[in-house]
Amino acid sequence: MTKDIRRPTRRGLLTAGAVGAAALSAPSFFIKGAWAQEKAIGNFPRATEGSSIKFGFVLPQTGAYADEGADELRAYQLAVKHLNEGFDFDSIISDSGLSGSGVLGKKVEYVVGDDQTNPDAARQVSQRMIERDGVIMFSGGSSSATAVANQYLAQEKGVIFMNGLTHSNDTTGKDRRRYGFRHFFNAYMSGIALGPIIAESYGKDRRAYHLTADYTWGHTQYESMKASTEDQGWTTVNNIMTPLGAPDFSQYLTQVLNSDADVVILNHYGKDMVNSLTQAVQFGMRDLQKNGKDFQIVVPLYSELMAEGAGDNIEGVYGTTNWNEKLPDAGTKAFVDAFVADYDRPPSQAAQTAYVQTLLYASAAERAGTFYPPEVIKALEDFEFTGIGSEGPMLYRGADHQCFHDVLVVQGKPPSERADQHDLLEIVKVVPRADIEYDPALPAFGGEQADLGPYEPA
Amino acid sequence: MEFNAFFLNFLTGLQLGAIYALIALGLTLIFGTLGVVNFAHGALYMIAAYAAVLISRSMGFTYAIFIVPALLFLVGLLMERGLIRWFYDRPHTDQILVTFGLAIVIEEALKWIFGANNIPFALPSWGSGQVLFYGLGATVPEAIPGLRIPMPGIEGFTFFPFWRLLLIGVSAIVVLGLFVLLQFTRFGLVVRAGMRDPQMVSHLGINVTQKFAIVFGLAAAIAGVAGVFGGPVTQVSPTVGLAYLVPSFLVVVIGGMGSLLGALVAAVLLGMASAFTTGFAALAVDPFMKGFLTALQQIVVYLVAVVVLLVRPRGLFGKKGVFE
Repeated sequence: MTKDIRRPTRRGLLTAGAVGAAALSAPSFFIKGAWAQEKAIGNFPRATEGSSIKFGFVLPQTGAYADEGADELRAYQLAVKHLNEGFDFDSIISDSGLSGSGVLGKKVEYVVGDDQTNPDAARQVSQRMIERDGVIMFSGGSSSATAVANQYLAQEKGVIFMNGLTHSNDTTGKDRRRYGFRHFFNAYMSGIALGPIIAESYGKDRRAYHLTADYTWGHTQYESMKASTEDQGWTTVNNIMTPLGAPDFSQYLTQVLNSDADVVILNHYGKDMVNSLTQAVQFGMRDLQKNGKDFQIVVPLYSELMAEGAGDNIEGVYGTTNWNEKLPDAGTKAFVDAFVADYDRPPSQAAQTAYVQTLLYASAAERAGTFYPPEVIKALEDFEFTGIGSEGPMLYRGADHQCFHDVLVVQGKPPSERADQHDLLEIVKVVPRADIEYDPALPAFGGEQADLGPYEPA
Repeated sequence: MEFNAFFLNFLTGLQLGAIYALIALGLTLIFGTLGVVNFAHGALYMIAAYAAVLISRSMGFTYAIFIVPALLFLVGLLMERGLIRWFYDRPHTDQILVTFGLAIVIEEALKWIFGANNIPFALPSWGSGQVLFYGLGATVPEAIPGLRIPMPGIEGFTFFPFWRLLLIGVSAIVVLGLFVLLQFTRFGLVVRAGMRDPQMVSHLGINVTQKFAIVFGLAAAIAGVAGVFGGPVTQVSPTVGLAYLVPSFLVVVIGGMGSLLGALVAAVLLGMASAFTTGFAALAVDPFMKGFLTALQQIVVYLVAVVVLLVRPRGLFGKKGVFE
């Protein structure tokens, strides 16, 4: 069979080299106005010359996170509707500059694609949106693996990507990109927010066993929780990496039973979280006593949509969220009311971040007065605003494109205290922005080497 | 590894194997009799699990134990009469494609009706709780609820969820029942004869196709039992069918296509392999060893399949010349 394999020929290599060289040098002498201040970058200015512009929403419509994707899509559609028809924008983002008649006077349209919660599929779908549909911004995703893939694509293509739900430190850590922005909080913040509260409730002398989803998010979540609980005096007994999407966690939970740990920390999200939590309860971990203490279960990142699947098992379990629909601020109220009016259900944190990200991009373009990506990026960098979900001002930090705002420590409600099927979480503490801010050059975030890359992609 | 750890890993291995066995039995039964590779078998399991949730919510879990297998028997019959029988004379690839396609249709249909998320499947009150195993001379504090069983060799006491032990028991009963049915009944005699030489059996005036349709229904009913008892363990979501089809199919291949005994042995083998590699990964101290075992733990079932098929291509108990 070896004779069928195509080997590179000398001629082929030369041709490819010549084409490559021509392509590399092309922008500087073929493109009109190449030396003007506003060069052609990505789909600018081509995609902004008509009467409308297009956003691309790339989300999981199939696969494990399909319900989160569905909620994000509801939020994106609402955001587009508000951008075109008007809304009380300043309650969401102060001095947003948004008019309610599109963005910079251009009507907003959108295309939707399915990323299947798979980075390869995400890249393909996003690339098609950029190249075929000519989107000026794309947004979405419900996994850090797809988020990182999309950010690299964004940087390559020169089209801004506004992250949806992604919680791995890497997204704004070692994999931060100039063309990628994250409003959602991250694993490190969850650790800082959660550590003191669980140490206060469960005591400082605790022995923790971690079960961790084996991909970028799980790894950083484990590191962050380990560091923050050890700061409180806890001991980390062990950690086992579990494959993403495992239906049965019994062989991992058995090891927890076998150890001298008295807390299990489930660094799982979505379906994994529901499965491992439900099964931990089946394994008697809620009724267990170890080292003379009640055994405890902790879920650092709560997924509200999935918490429904865990039924009564979430009762009393601590975790964190980016936002909750019961927050008292005016922006939250305006957003939740509009969402419920259209969809007859409260928005999840995935929906909130999707909605806010769309508005943040639009507001940056308005404030910059152009869709030219480097200017829009600069309008987002170090942008400070008040509005939805935070008591004090929020900051889109320029150094790593991470947005800083209050985050929440929550606890699962017992069934008797739930008002309806969506009312699952009790807000235990609103952790202010100041408490969760950190140095962007921390080793957990890629250290000094982490680099956003250039404003003008090569 | 201390005995306590060994014992818990052993039970976990049996429990993992029990689910694989319940799904693989149906798969291998269908292949052994009808010669069809039914990739929709995981989907049948999933239908059973959803039906079990709905019935136990509205009528009670006890009803689900009886209704779901009967319902699945009907579903199996319908599937065989309506679709599968047109593919008996087609190549295996066609059968795989059509059943796999059906599995996708069922998965998407369930997602459409119930959403992509898990739906909670609560254990019945009699099924929750733990079984405590205690060593000789050890005392178990009175405060801890649960069935107490003495187990020599255990240091102090340890426990395992009652439901998972029940699952092992149910699986054993189903395997035994199926064995008795095929080995000691007239129906079993005809089916076994039909597996050997269907043409001869039909020449003798026996309606083989009718018997085979019943076999398909029976295999589906076993998936029904698996759904009722396995659902609370594997969770009920639209992806669980495919998640279990793959290891169960490996079980069938490792055991030998069409061999019931082979499926049973291979199921326990894969269960033990998963449980014990995880057990050793958890115990490993050396970071390299821990990393290696953690990675191994995620692929061990495939590795076992590779090794078995390299050494013995027909599988452990496979017949010569079948899928070899």
